[in-house]
Amino acid sequence: MRDRQLESLRLELLKGGVIPFYVERTIAELGEHYADLESVALARGLTAEEAARVASNALGNERAIVAAILARPELLTFSRRWPRVANCLNSAAAIGTLPGLPLLYCIEHRPELARWGAAVSIAATLMGSVLAVLNWLIVLPY
Amino acid sequence: MAQTNPPFLTGVPELLVLRMLSGREMYGYEIVKAMRLVTQEAIGFGEGVIYPVLHALEEGGALRARRKSVNGRERVYYAVTTKGKRRLEHLSDEWKRVSSGVNSALNGANGDPEHA
Repeated sequence: MRDRQLESLRLELLKGGVIPFYVERTIAELGEHYADLESVALARGLTAEEAARVASNALGNERAIVAAILARPELLTFSRRWPRVANCLNSAAAIGTLPGLPLLYCIEHRPELARWGAAVSIAATLMGSVLAVLNWLIVLPY
Repeated sequence: MAQTNPPFLTGVPELLVLRMLSGREMYGYEIVKAMRLVTQEAIGFGEGVIYPVLHALEEGGALRARRKSVNGRERVYYAVTTKGKRRLEHLSDEWKRVSSGVNSALNGANGDPEHA
């Protein structure tokens, strides 16, 4: 299988929900298998073009390989094998994470929050000082 | 009938792969060559479909895979585990039982109780 076909196969398998580890393994093994078939055909005296065609035919077409892999549930990701369970777990995880999000946000944005806190403190101090001075200066007429 | 037998319908590739690997570890291309040889090319298939069978058996714990560099080529060698040996025995027994039933049907028994 040529690189272009292997890349197309990789995308098909990933779209189909195959575990990425097995996608990469399959692509690597098919590439090696194709190279073996091609070298045997070349050793038999075929031209490069004929050898490539013989190797492709022996390996089988892309659609058949994708179908054979997708027919194996044990090679599919959890969310592809049990979509409803995965959706429930995702929702539960999202709900469980929500209360922690503000805290995570604060940890993530520590420097900005420190600057903001400092600015608010300075502003409050200045405002308080101005108000205190005004309070001292203004004398009401009664 | 003793029991229904789904592995009979779906387990033939597994049976052959486990049988090929029961002697020594091999990589995909070697396994296909060995299968073609021992079955005298009676079973035709696109060779690429061997990999999902191997990966499913590995995922199920029947095979163990390891990468090995041979003559500058990166190969994935597969070997049968203890669990795989047990599975091979089970699938072999199932196959013998079912094929003996089919053979007996082909060799005369026609299902007519009067001629039984």
